[in-house]
Amino acid sequence: MDFPDMLAASIHDIKNSLSLISSNLTAMLAHPDNRFAEPQQISLIQHEVQRVNNTLIQLLNLYKLGKDALRFEILEHNVEEFFAEVVANSTPVCRALGIHLTYCCDPDLNGYFDSEMVRSILENTIGNAQRYARSQILLRADRQADYLVLYVEDDGDGFPPELLQLSQDVEGSISASRISGRTRLGLLFAQKIARLHQAGQRSGYIRLHNACTLPGGCFQLWLP
Amino acid sequence: MASNLSDKTFLVVDDFADMRSVMRSLLRSLEVTRIDLAANGNEAISRMEKKHYDVVLCDYNLGPGKDGQQVLEEARHRQLLGLDSIFIMVTAESAREMVMAAVEYTPDSYLTKPFTAELLQTRLEKLFEKKAHLTEVNRAMLAKNYSAAIDELNLLISETPKNLSELLKLKAEICITAGHYDEALAIYQKILDEREVTWARLGLGKVFFHKKQYTEAERIFRELINVDRNLLEAYDWLAKTQMALERFQEAEKTLDAAIKISPRGLKRQCALGEIALANGNTERAEVAFNKAVNLAKHSVLNHPSLMAGLAKSLTANGKHDLALEIANKIERDFPHHEQTGFYQATALAIVKNNLGDKQGAEKALKAAEQALKDAGGAVSPTMSLEMVKAYAALGDHQKATALLESAVANNHDDENFLASVKQVCQSAGFTAESEAVLKEIQQEVVRTNNKGVRLIQMGQYDAAIALLRKAAEDMPANKTINLNAAKALIMKMEQHGPTEAELQQVRVYIDRVQRAAPDDWRLAEVSASLQRLAHRI
Repeated sequence: MDFPDMLAASIHDIKNSLSLISSNLTAMLAHPDNRFAEPQQISLIQHEVQRVNNTLIQLLNLYKLGKDALRFEILEHNVEEFFAEVVANSTPVCRALGIHLTYCCDPDLNGYFDSEMVRSILENTIGNAQRYARSQILLRADRQADYLVLYVEDDGDGFPPELLQLSQDVEGSISASRISGRTRLGLLFAQKIARLHQAGQRSGYIRLHNACTLPGGCFQLWLP
Repeated sequence: MASNLSDKTFLVVDDFADMRSVMRSLLRSLEVTRIDLAANGNEAISRMEKKHYDVVLCDYNLGPGKDGQQVLEEARHRQLLGLDSIFIMVTAESAREMVMAAVEYTPDSYLTKPFTAELLQTRLEKLFEKKAHLTEVNRAMLAKNYSAAIDELNLLISETPKNLSELLKLKAEICITAGHYDEALAIYQKILDEREVTWARLGLGKVFFHKKQYTEAERIFRELINVDRNLLEAYDWLAKTQMALERFQEAEKTLDAAIKISPRGLKRQCALGEIALANGNTERAEVAFNKAVNLAKHSVLNHPSLMAGLAKSLTANGKHDLALEIANKIERDFPHHEQTGFYQATALAIVKNNLGDKQGAEKALKAAEQALKDAGGAVSPTMSLEMVKAYAALGDHQKATALLESAVANNHDDENFLASVKQVCQSAGFTAESEAVLKEIQQEVVRTNNKGVRLIQMGQYDAAIALLRKAAEDMPANKTINLNAAKALIMKMEQHGPTEAELQQVRVYIDRVQRAAPDDWRLAEVSASLQRLAHRI
């Protein structure tokens, strides 16, 4: 049994522990008898639990991708229904952090993608945005030149210049850049998963911008 | 948190006590009050036996005993879940591993831990909405009334809903089940004209397989595997196609490759065991049957044929004593299964023969013959083949070929069965002559049936009835012949009015088909016509 296999085998236990931590925190916060001097601390723990979970999933999927064992399934999805679930799963942490998480898209907009992988990308991006947003995170989607584009925007200070320069050769520059480990892993994962989405000659990619409709960072996932 | 889930009943299944209470408090935050908990698979099943649940939240990983998939299989197989019930599989990592196991039954949805109450609520509301939307379709499917299901789907599709592609996928699948291959083909082709979609390409391959265009089917399944080497369903269909093309060794290799990717599929392990054993690759057969027996231990799909297969593989590998032990255990492990006696007897006949116990082998063979006789109309083609293999192993080629001839006559249009027959003929060393005889028998039935159908179409009912009646007497277990004999009588009565004698004859034919293949898609239509005619008397 090599290390990645051990990691995979432990996932079940780790996830159970994370579920326990997370739901007990929620229950602690909700209980009327409890008083916390710094409720913010609990929100921060919740936020970190979710990030550990996201990182774990991404690590495991990158490992499988490397072994050519990732089961990838592109199906047609209604984007609004998909967004509703992503937002539902991130709402408690956002609420605790005082951030307003919303989505907006044409209810008839459908697209082809692997919902499990794209969900992981969006949840991770929301997790990052939670650190930088002042009060708002917005999920958006539209169709641009035969691509379905999913946006995650916030009203923070935006991405630093070294991240904005990644745009072209994303994978190479992500590896070479001096961005922190977790952000780097998240971007690498997003880029690899985006590229697995193919239709004819076109394949998916990611873009980072600032100030699209909200003043802060704007992560874009382009899917053919 | 406001929700409309408060009137629903929930069953939470998890082996971990803390997780059960986490789930319970999560449900309580959604104002759910009617919550039952189960700590393992058996407890979950016994709760479902006693009470109807609107929602079952079941963890995949339940420790020793049944896993979540086996709970789902048993609940669906025994119809413990209502049409409107929702089964959600809760998984630690991702749903992918289970999808890869090529499971017979799929849950309504998967949820990956940890998830929030908000996500559960959003998901459940969507699932209830979807169920309500498909109520009529599901009701028709349960009654195996496929044309009604397709009519309902057409109605839903005409409203161009958001989940249009889901409905089209469902419709195409029902079309295949109901034998409307060209209609299914048109749906898949239209989707593929717009975009490359895996399920549509796979569906197209299945249609070609059913239309016996094996070369096209093979090309499609191979291409799919080239694009995605983890698409296990394509391996299963490729193997079926290779069997139909009589490339038995290749079919075995294909299944073996799929099993290397995911060893958890029970049905696939059985198929590999059977094919490998007939191909003479007995070591691989032993491994596959061993895994199948272990996988099936807690499964409602467990069957005496698995241990029989293991015993036959063991004895083929010279491990006669262990084989004898396994064969003798079949009765203990399946005390109530109706096919226990038959499978134990065929396995014992072969094992004892290999042990040099000719007398014991003969005795077991007699017991198998008796069990086959006792089963009457419920003899499946698989059981006939099993008997043929036992005859062949004991050197009784005469009885083997006689049984094969009647089995082929009774199942002349079952392609999977005919492929296995060819494989058995080759591995049992039957002469080319007896293979030619079988082929002639099969083609003779095809000709008779086609002639009968043509006579019906031309309105010459009496001639059709005379022809098909004789054929049905010769081949009482042939579903197609019996169904067409029933149809000829029905068509005649629809034009000239029903008679009691003819109605009775139709009942006999329908009864035979019902016994041989209760799931046959053509039954619903013929039975409905029979009832309409009976009312006119």
